[in-house]
This record gives sequence, C-alpha cells and structure tokens, in this order.
Amino acid sequence: MNLEVDLGIKISNPFILASGILDENGYTIKKILESGAGAAVTKSIGMEERRGYEPPVVYENDPVFINAIGLSNPGIDNFGEEIKIALAAKKPVIGSVFGKTVEEFSLIARKMEQYGASAVELNLSCPHVNGYGMEIGSDPDLVNEIVSEVKSKINIPVYSKLSPNTSDIVEEAKAAEKSDALVLINTVKAMAIDIKAKKPVLSNIYGGMSGKAIKPVGIRYVYEIKRELNKKIIGVGGIENINDAVEYMMAGASAVQIGTVVYKYGKNIFNKMNNDLVNYMIDNNIDNIDELTGVALK
Amino acid sequence: MKTSIIYENIKLNDNTNIIKFPCNEKIEPGQFIMAWVPGINEIPLSFSGLNDLKEITIKIYGKASEHIAHLKKGDTVFFRGPYGKPFENTAGKKLLIGAGTGIASLVPLIDKNAYGVLSGKTGNDIVFQDRFEKKSIVTDDGSYGKKGYAVDALKDMDISEFDMIYACGPEIMLKSVMDYMVNINDRAQFSLERPMKCGIGICDSCSINGYQVCTDGPVFSLKQLMGMSEFGSTRLNYSGKRIKI
Ligand SMILES: Cc1cc2nc3c(=O)[nH]c(=O)nc-3n(C[C@H](O)[C@H](O)[C@H](O)COP(=O)(O)OP(=O)(O)OC[C@H]3O[C@@H](n4cnc5c(N)ncnc54)[C@H](O)[C@@H]3O)c2cc1C
Ligand SMILES: Cc1cc2nc3c(=O)[nH]c(=O)nc-3n(C[C@H](O)[C@H](O)[C@H](O)COP(=O)(O)O)c2cc1C
Ligand code: FES
Repeated sequence: MNLEVDLGIKISNPFILASGILDENGYTIKKILESGAGAAVTKSIGMEERRGYEPPVVYENDPVFINAIGLSNPGIDNFGEEIKIALAAKKPVIGSVFGKTVEEFSLIARKMEQYGASAVELNLSCPHVNGYGMEIGSDPDLVNEIVSEVKSKINIPVYSKLSPNTSDIVEEAKAAEKSDALVLINTVKAMAIDIKAKKPVLSNIYGGMSGKAIKPVGIRYVYEIKRELNKKIIGVGGIENINDAVEYMMAGASAVQIGTVVYKYGKNIFNKMNNDLVNYMIDNNIDNIDELTGVALK
Repeated sequence: MKTSIIYENIKLNDNTNIIKFPCNEKIEPGQFIMAWVPGINEIPLSFSGLNDLKEITIKIYGKASEHIAHLKKGDTVFFRGPYGKPFENTAGKKLLIGAGTGIASLVPLIDKNAYGVLSGKTGNDIVFQDRFEKKSIVTDDGSYGKKGYAVDALKDMDISEFDMIYACGPEIMLKSVMDYMVNINDRAQFSLERPMKCGIGICDSCSINGYQVCTDGPVFSLKQLMGMSEFGSTRLNYSGKRIKI
C-alpha cells in the first residue's frame, strides 16, 4: 500500500498541517510532524515583524469558526530558527509567504529556501496595497508576475494558495498556473456580532471563516479548478475526518491540509487520519493513494 | 459570549480588585476564562474563588484589566471558557507558592493543611495573606516580610515534608523554584502564564516546547516542565518573535 504523494517533493502521507494553525513556534511544528502529519505549512511570514490584531481574534461556535489574527508574524529575518527547530522532525516544512509586492514575495521565498524549507506556499489572500479591501489574488496580472518571479528565483516547489473571496477563482488559478500545485481554499470572509454586547466580536470586525461549515465551498472549488486546469491540487477547508479527506481527493486533490479541527481533536488527528486512511484503502481495495484523485470527475 | 452580572467589586489595594459574579459553569482551581471588554481587548483571567459566587482577582496593567477591575455591581462581564487543565487538588500537606497576584489562582486550594509562601516586589504586591494560617512573606525590597525572593523563603524551610507543592507566578520565578526542587520527584504543579490570543489551542502564541499553555496547561507537573527547554529560557512575543525570558 502506498500513501506517499508527490508534490514536487515526496510527502509520506497526504495530510499536511494548514498555514496559521499551531505553526509559529518551531517546537509546535515539530510536535505536529511527530504526531503523524506528512508535512507542515508554517504561519504566513512577511518582510517585517507584525503584531496583528488584538483579541478577540477568534470566534468559535461549532461548526462555524472565524479568525482575524491579522497576519501577525516575526518577520522573515527572525523565522530561520523556528524552521530549523521544526526540521529536526525530518519531514518537509513548507514556508508560507505573504508580501505587498512581487519583490517582497521573491525575497521572502528565497530566505525560506535558505532556511531549509522544502517548498513555499504563496498566500495570495493578503491585502493588495493599491486595492481597498481587495486581495492580491483578485489581480491576475499581479498573481502571474509573483508566481513567475518566485519560480525563477528558487529551486524548491512553489504552491499558490488561492482565496475564495475573489470574483473569479478560475481566472486566479489560471494566473497561478506556473505553480507546482494550487492550494484551495483559504478562509471565507465572514463576521459575527454578539447580540448582548451589540458589537462585532472580532476586534478587526471582519474575519475569515474556516472549519466544517466551509467544506462544501472548498469541494466545489477543487472540483471546478481540477476540471478546468488539471493541475495538482492540495485541498483544504473543513476537513474533520477521513471521509472529508476522501471527498476532497475525489474532487481532484492529491493531498489535503488540515487546520481548524486541530483545536477540536488535538494534534493526534494526524495519526488518526493515517490509520483511518489505511483502513479505508483496505476496505476499498486501493493500493495507491493516487487512484483516488479526481475519481468524481471521471 | 457567555455573560454574568457583577454582584460585588472589592478593592484590595490601589491597583488590584476582586470581582464576584454568579456562574453555573463547572470550574476547577487553575482554570481560566477569556474575559472580553467589547471594543478594547480580551484577556485571560483565573479564579481566586469558586463558591456559589465566582471570584476573580485582577491587577491593573493596561486598558482591559483596568476596565474589568472597575466593573460595578450590576455591570455585565463577557467571557469564554472556562479553559485549561486545572490543578490536581490532592490530600495532605500542601505548599502554595505565589508571586504577586499569582497567589490568587491558588486561593481555592487553601485548606487547614496549607502553608503559603507569598512573594512580591514590594509590600503592596502581597495579597491574600489573611487567608493563610501558616505562611512566609518575602519582598524584593524588604518593605514587608523578609527581604528576598520566593526561593529564599523555601531555603528556610524543609520542603520535603509537603505532599504536594503548587506554584504560580512569573516564569522566571517558577524556574528558580523548580531548580531548587531536587528530590521532590513529581510532587509539584506549576501554573504558567504566556501571552494568549485564542485560549483554545489554535494560534500557537502561548506554546512551550510543543505544548499549548491554554489547553495542555496552564498547570503542568514538575516532571513535564523538566523536559521543556523553553521553560524559563525563551518564548514567542505577541508577533511571534522568539525572545529571551
Ligand atoms: C492563564 C492566565 C491567567 C491569568 N490570570 C490572571 C488573574 O487571575 N489576575 C490577573 O490580574 N491577571 C491574570 N493574568 C494576566 C492578565 O491576563 C494580564 O495582566 C492582562 O492580559 C493584561 O491586559 P491589559 O490589556 O490590561 O494590559 P496590556 O495592555 O496587555 O499590558 C500593559 C502593560 O503591562 C504589561 N503586563 C501585562 N500583563 C502583565 C503581567 N501579567 N505581568 C507583568 N506585566 C504585564 C504589558 O507588557 C504592558 O507593558 C493571567 C494570564 C494568563 C495567561
Ligand atoms: C487561526 C487561523 C489562522 C490562519 N492563518 C493563515 C495564514 O497565516 N496563512 C494562510 O494562508 N492561511 C491561514 N489560515 C487559513 C487556513 O490555512 C485554511 O486555509 C483554512 O482555515 C481552511 O482550512 P480548515 O477548515 O481545515 O481550517 C488560517 C486559519 C485559521 C483558523
Ligand atoms: S492562546 Fe492560542 S494556542 Fe494558546
């Protein structure tokens, strides 16, 4: 039986820790890799140290989860040590990168490579400097430029993480076609108001929704993009159990990322997913995990 | 958010208040809530009283703690929780070591077998001394009790006679106490404070060697802490940058 997936780098199983969840401190990343994750994506890292928003930064009302951490991060120059600590687990660490300009993306990606990251993931959902509330992903020319530039400067795989908060995600995906894989989806814009306080809960007012409730949105985008582009896809959004992961693979994903659910079931969710996948493959006579990818499209 | 109505606010000294409010949640010593001040911030606070009325003791540092410390009878307190792993309250002789308001979360553990070590920068930081029958008080400047640190008070006593040792305070103080505890085996539990944003184990801001203080802690056993290289050494700041403690 083969659980290994090829995303330009070999990953021992298809379950990857999603960006922004327990992946800021190198020791935590290491522990998650030791708990069965095939690889881990770091928190999105920018040029400079950034405090992010004040709490409340999360709103939790299962199955709804909304966060507005605000891209808090130590800045790329302070992140090498965390990657080094995480790499002691001897599994791939994927560096998530965000920037304001093509140059920033490129510079941070190069540093990630120097630090030993196995691949980089471009977070294209960060704010566009010139656009009011617009995300970089809504500007196909800029996306194309960022991906081309980063691809030309580093020798490790480049994944592009797309946002569902754009008018045309297919166009965004086409603009990112030079990437080695597309990561779908980032969080869905949302907010919550506390009716007793009569105020928005999150200090930033708006946040991004993740968790179980967004799974159908993620499935739809993975399916649609796989049909249009036939690129490698990493599915993410609301995966809580093996059936959710299989659903993403059938929609076209080669691997999946797991985020929000870690707060519900703990880091051991990764070991559990691996066991459940093996059982699923035995029960369904599947030898190679690749066989699952895109079966719903056939 | 959950809510409760403040029943009473007691001023302990110029910068510390106790708020009391009814709450039906099952809360154990050492657990905490994320208290929300709409429009300002949300902060972790632990309990200094767990009877019919729940009690929180707040020292004023910034805007959020100031707002909560000044809530009046009839005002609403907003919160999430309770969260975190509590103290294991064991029978027998207990030693409770608290620095400043750190003693507050140990107050629910006080019984007739409890001995308190209360430490502070100055006498003004010492609170709840009246709740202990047997105690040692130390201050950095000697303005109240003996001059010295918590660990100096321990050196004057035989800590091996206690069945369980509980400690809460700044990490640097906890580290010095831990380093002093040879031959205590696992008879000690420490409650840690690290910057918290989510309180539920998703943001990584409170982490120590892969453990989340908000969910795996805040209470850790001596044995767990002995294996943590970050303890008393480094942590991440609010942005996520590694800093020395
Ligand atoms: C699990 C846990 C339980 C806690 N329980 C209690 C409790 O029961 N009672 C209580 O009073 N506090 C408790 N705290 C600490 C409390 O959460 C902080 O004091 C509070 O977040 C300060 O918020 P603020 O917005 O008022 O101040 P901020 O604006 O955040 O801070 C103002 C200034 O004070 C400094 N500061 C803030 N907090 C501390 C601190 N604890 N020690 C030293 N310097 C500080 C800051 O660095 C800053 O310079 C607990 C913390 C944790 C992690
Ligand atoms: C607390 C939190 C922080 C996040 N931070 C980032 C981030 O820094 N960069 C990023 O690309 N995605 C970030 N995400 C989005 C996740 O990586 C993921 O795309 C999304 O949560 C959907 O997956 P899930 O439902 O399994 O969590 C964050 C999500 C959460 C819940
Ligand atoms: S406060 Fe977010 S993980 Fe502990």
